[in-house]
Amino acid sequence: MAADIRTDVLVIGAGPAGSMTAKWAARHGAKVLLIEKRQEIGSPVRCGEGMSKDWLTEVGIAPGRWINVEVEGARIFSPSEKVFEINEKHAGNEVGYVVERDGFDKQLAIDAANAGAEIRLKTSAVAMLREHGRIVGAKVKQFGETVDVRAAVTIGADGFESQVGRWAGISTNIAMRDMDTCLQYRMTDVDSDVRYCDFYLGKVAPGGYVWVFPKGERLANVGIGVQVSQVASPADAKSYLDRWIEHHPAYAKGKKIDMVGGGVSISAPLKQTVADGLMLVGDAARMIDPLTGGGIANGCIAGKICGTVAAEAVAADDPSKEFLQKYEHGWRARLEEKLYRNWLAKEKLVSLSDETFDKIIEVLAGVRLEKLNVHNILKAVRDKYPEVTKEFEAFL
Amino acid sequence: MASKKSLHIESSGKLCIYCGACVGICPLNCIYLDETRITFDEKVCTRCEVCVKACPVGAIEIG
Repeated sequence: MAADIRTDVLVIGAGPAGSMTAKWAARHGAKVLLIEKRQEIGSPVRCGEGMSKDWLTEVGIAPGRWINVEVEGARIFSPSEKVFEINEKHAGNEVGYVVERDGFDKQLAIDAANAGAEIRLKTSAVAMLREHGRIVGAKVKQFGETVDVRAAVTIGADGFESQVGRWAGISTNIAMRDMDTCLQYRMTDVDSDVRYCDFYLGKVAPGGYVWVFPKGERLANVGIGVQVSQVASPADAKSYLDRWIEHHPAYAKGKKIDMVGGGVSISAPLKQTVADGLMLVGDAARMIDPLTGGGIANGCIAGKICGTVAAEAVAADDPSKEFLQKYEHGWRARLEEKLYRNWLAKEKLVSLSDETFDKIIEVLAGVRLEKLNVHNILKAVRDKYPEVTKEFEAFL
Repeated sequence: MASKKSLHIESSGKLCIYCGACVGICPLNCIYLDETRITFDEKVCTRCEVCVKACPVGAIEIG
């Protein structure tokens, strides 16, 4: 058996949240080990690849070759395909880039390495190490060999199918109504518009939406998310997506060159993301925006806070749950209000009829909103269709 | 004691795309994804069928 490895901070999972955490912990002086179970960081991609951009400076990510397309706006299509266009002026953070996710993830890992973190590939956590009820690292398998990694602080950044949280006794279970099952094709030879990310709402994708994110001229990611609680028969995500493509001439003749799937949590924030010696970050901490299904920005923003607090805990020689509350409070102060508001909005939206979606989009297409948010949208809709917003009074 | 229904995860690659959706939603944490292999713990699984719904491509069957 190989000798134990000792480090200050162990980060499990080298996705965006993990690499961000590793980078900021290393930058603040901690000895960091970042482990990734796959042989290649960022691959295979499991993502729609659309992301907002206004948060990148905050966490210290410089634009790079991973930017595929910079879009001008987003278009939201109602069931009868009335269109509401969101442009950069009033959407701010909701508009941005279509990215090469594998390249993006690799860049963030490079940033972590440059800050001083050590990275090990083909290395997966298989169990937590515990002493006196406190997490003191993880048992990992690297190239088939089992090794104990002892760390003052362990961070679970192991994505949607996170094991770390469950092993550590943090409840990360999600209900069927709080998850979308997703499928996407990369399609070539399609008549997509490279200026927009498109979203199609309504019964075409119960409890979710169909997206078309342009990857270049005549090339796009065409995908779907369906709320698991609204799945009626197996493979519904695929059936709905195939049907949608079939009914849209701009895409029906396209050719599929890639297929990805996955689960996306659309839940309210977890009650607890820290334990003695342990923190959860990113999709593992259910930080995905429940309205958009986007997880990269929140994972990176929380990752910066997580890495910083990890280094502080090491410096203070205090990885207790009490100390790590600084992370818990930090990420909540930055993200929780919006996460919770968007979760409430999602809870309403998944129940709307196609007729209601048509009314809402029709109103939005006809008014000028200074700033796009749930409150302003509802006020505009109330002016024309007061009966539609009756159930949303809590937001107004 | 009533015997459990059979659960089959088609993970040879004919249907399964190894996306992990079933792993993430399993309330008992008894499905395991290891690169291109998916297994589940026969004893722990209660056949709640949540994974069947979560699978985007219909690779899980309960009969």
